[in-house]
Amino acid sequence: MNEIRVRSIVEGKAAGEILFSSQPIAFLQGVDVEGGFVSDKKHEIYLKPFEDKILVFPNAVGSSVGAYVIYRLKKNGKAPRAIINQKADMIIASGCAISEIPLFDLVDGKISELREISKVRVDEKKLVLVEY
Amino acid sequence: MYLTNAEEKALSGERGEAEQIAYRVLVATGKLGDAQKLIPIEWVHVSGVSFLTIGQYGLDFLEKISNSKGAKFKVFTTVNPCGMDIENWKALEIPTDYAEKQLQIIECYKKLGMANSFTCVPFETYKVPPAGTCVAWAESSAAVFGNSILGLRTNRESAISALACALTGKTVYSDLQIPLNRKPSKNIRVNLKKKMDFSGSLNFGVLGFFAGKEVPGVIGFQRVKQKLSLAEAKALSAAIGTLGSSGMFILDSKEKVETIDFTDREFEETMSDLSQSENGEAVVFGCPQMTLEELRDLSNAIQGKHFRKKCIVFCSSMMFERASHEGYVQSIESSGATFVRDACADFTPLISSLKVGSVVTDSVKGAHYMRKVHGVDISLKDTSTIIRENME
Repeated sequence: MNEIRVRSIVEGKAAGEILFSSQPIAFLQGVDVEGGFVSDKKHEIYLKPFEDKILVFPNAVGSSVGAYVIYRLKKNGKAPRAIINQKADMIIASGCAISEIPLFDLVDGKISELREISKVRVDEKKLVLVEY
Repeated sequence: MYLTNAEEKALSGERGEAEQIAYRVLVATGKLGDAQKLIPIEWVHVSGVSFLTIGQYGLDFLEKISNSKGAKFKVFTTVNPCGMDIENWKALEIPTDYAEKQLQIIECYKKLGMANSFTCVPFETYKVPPAGTCVAWAESSAAVFGNSILGLRTNRESAISALACALTGKTVYSDLQIPLNRKPSKNIRVNLKKKMDFSGSLNFGVLGFFAGKEVPGVIGFQRVKQKLSLAEAKALSAAIGTLGSSGMFILDSKEKVETIDFTDREFEETMSDLSQSENGEAVVFGCPQMTLEELRDLSNAIQGKHFRKKCIVFCSSMMFERASHEGYVQSIESSGATFVRDACADFTPLISSLKVGSVVTDSVKGAHYMRKVHGVDISLKDTSTIIRENME
């Protein structure tokens, strides 16, 4: 069974299907808060719902208010189960901390290793690849 | 991260819910840069003030924080613009239900002890401490400006992490708070054939937008002039923040790191990404909000002319008063322009209520957000061209 070492930023564990994006996400005005998906037409996960997914993307970009967008997604019931970043940042970490969304980033692996993976299980120490 | 006994107690909830939430946020953000400790800061700048951006859930969260027993901003705390002119929203036809929500948000920040102005250019509004001072600024444009131009030390805080800093008077000791980290990770070399004299706030805005998207860490510029005007530095900082994650730039980078060329092609591509329209049905100035110097320059440039279309100028109420004292407000208003105080051009319902299909502006950040938020096409031009084409 393949495992990848992770760093836990906001504690928690989760299991589920991956929604993978190799592009960063701008949460303010780049995500539809009511619908729970990326709203930028040029983005590779445009319109794909976050809900129930383990959302994998490199990092956030753009407005500092993006942290509130993560909180609003959670309150709307449209947030992902967990987030895995290449390198988490202030926007994601603070937004996930108040929304109690488990957040991880990769210490030595690359998120591109998760591109072809459909299901994972993740906890404080490691990410286990469940289905290929 | 090491926490003192007092900090541990606050984290466990002994000092109320607001501080407990704040320390939870600091513990999470501390892990990002493997911070070893929290450090005191002298100034916090908080974003997340317009009802258009934080919504009902954001308001609920702020009410929970501000109603929590003993919750107060522990250090000097300034806040970002809101979504309307607080004094004059009725005359500007802001919907009442929106205005009520906006006033509730403002009440939360007032209760916590905010400084009395809504501005995204706090560094031009209040006295700036000496270089090397540790602060915690959200509002990406201000954070980039503070690090790069003023020599302050700030991480690029988020709206929520800055709120946590204000409630505790502390931030995490990591990233740009640590002097060793304040060096370029990539260089952007300006290499244009068409524009040998690279100057003006629009050109620097376009450069910043490109650089912000290319470089996630500290940006090292090469072959740009060494002394930027206030307007150029402000436009560059704001554009870097718009779609990037960098918190700082250095002019004249000598760092031997990967170097990306900014040629005529990159300039044109970035420009055509941002600007779709030949001209706009309304003119918008002040993203980020106008400084006193910019109001002076605008007032001089439009002397004796009149706008042929609606023109809106955004600045803080404090800057409005200062400019009024100097006579700039009167001369700008007599040209037919309307002032909107304390609001953000990008996140006010005002622009949508103008019912125009296009807006002309000199701001790269404004171009990006006004298009996204209000669905208008943008004509991006430099200030003097806007004046020439839209005034008589």
